[in-house]
Amino acid sequence: MIDARGLSKRYGDLAAVDDVSFSIEKGEIVGFLGPNGAGKTTTMRMITGFLPPTDGTAIVAGHDIFEDPIAARTAIGYLPETPPLYPEMTVKSYLDFVARIKGVARKQRREAVDRAMERTDLTHVSRQVIGTLSKGFRQRVGLAQAIVHDPPVLILDEPTAGLDPLQIREIRALIAELTEPGRGVAQHTVILSTHIMAEVDAICRRVILIHQGRKVVDAPLEELTADGTTLEEIFARHTSRDVAELEPDEAAAEPAGPAEEAAP
Amino acid sequence: MKHIGSVAGRELRSLFVSPIAYGVLSLFSVLAGVFFILDVAWFQEMLMRMQQYQAFDELAKWNLNDRLIGEFYGSMSVVLMFLIPGITMGLYASEKSNGTEELLLTSPLTIWDIVFGKFVAGAAFVLLLTVLVGMFPGLLFHYGDPEVGKTLSGLLGILLIGWTYVAIGGFASSITRNQIIAFLVSFVVLLTLLLLPAVADFGVAGTAPAVADVLRYLSAAAHFDQLLTGLVDTADLAYFAMMIGIFLLLTKASVESVRWR
Repeated sequence: MIDARGLSKRYGDLAAVDDVSFSIEKGEIVGFLGPNGAGKTTTMRMITGFLPPTDGTAIVAGHDIFEDPIAARTAIGYLPETPPLYPEMTVKSYLDFVARIKGVARKQRREAVDRAMERTDLTHVSRQVIGTLSKGFRQRVGLAQAIVHDPPVLILDEPTAGLDPLQIREIRALIAELTEPGRGVAQHTVILSTHIMAEVDAICRRVILIHQGRKVVDAPLEELTADGTTLEEIFARHTSRDVAELEPDEAAAEPAGPAEEAAP
Repeated sequence: MKHIGSVAGRELRSLFVSPIAYGVLSLFSVLAGVFFILDVAWFQEMLMRMQQYQAFDELAKWNLNDRLIGEFYGSMSVVLMFLIPGITMGLYASEKSNGTEELLLTSPLTIWDIVFGKFVAGAAFVLLLTVLVGMFPGLLFHYGDPEVGKTLSGLLGILLIGWTYVAIGGFASSITRNQIIAFLVSFVVLLTLLLLPAVADFGVAGTAPAVADVLRYLSAAAHFDQLLTGLVDTADLAYFAMMIGIFLLLTKASVESVRWR
């Protein structure tokens, strides 16, 4: 569903993201980890077509993000780091606008908006002005905006940042539910970025860890933690040193054999 | 191009839930009223004086269109210069500061959908302002007999100059995330545009007449004045179309530039 091919983003001499490749299958939930400033947001912005990569490209739902941007963007639901909200609009009119620009046909729009509000538990605030909502609600409106057109691919940048424990639990439950098949809606493929390990433990089945712009781990969660090491330990081991100091086999994570570098 | 309406509709709705639109509309109505009353009072005063001094030759040249409606339109075009930047300053700058720029640019929209949509919203607002302006000369038809053609062509001038200001203000808004800066930049550009004929007449007319001609052509004032005299010339319409086109192209490039870096 998502195929990142050698994505790089350089600002002058600084490589924010350096040759990151991965491939994510339909229905997977992938935790995208890394310390602050590792390049998570930049990578996600490149996959959504917001930022142009210096090198490489991404194929989303079979469409190259640059050759066929409209089709690729239609397939993506994206929650940026800051939810992209218009504070003066009501929840309902905002979601209606998003559904329009994401190409939901007029006849289905009302239903799409109602369903998105229902799934994010926003129905009772549908007429409220977004600017008056609490942070947790705004985050949920951000999530509703990402799923309103029922896209096959969801890209969520720190979806639980700034929420209280109860809200975090609700959002996680919702994300987990989104990837379950059935319920008459498409099964979503999800990448979510976070630096909270417990979140990955709770909902992800696969982990991609990036550090200083390079991919250093790409493996199923089960394999990583099979020998009893915790995610925190794995995170610390791979991010405590500069990428340049890592062993070559550690630093160059091959998409073909992602499991190896998990072994100690 | 099919999303122009969605973008324009959202923009207008946001404009009308914010106090800015109402502030601008009220201020505009009050100013229009004040200018109109002053223009009428002045017109009457002058007529009386000329009769008093029996200056019938001069009196014959005085008509409602040239000496009242034209003056009024002229004042309103200057008022627009102050108010339109207030309407356009948020067009793009607010998208950047809200983070909604990221929503628009990752949606299946073309850049033209966004740029045209926003321009259409601003243009619709200017249409509303033009209708407000038109109401005042409309009153005169009840008391006198102004020329319909001249009155309408002047109003067309107000509309076109307003649309040009929207295109310029939109561009100013697209280059910054700060609305105050957007306001100031568009105001400075509009002021420059207004002062070009003065620069042409007093600065370069003697030394470089060709440059002076170019400056006069670039200023909106000359083309607006033509419309006030009732002359709807393709050359003047082409000027406004060109200015709008140039600034929409610049805006498109500026919005797109996030994708270049």
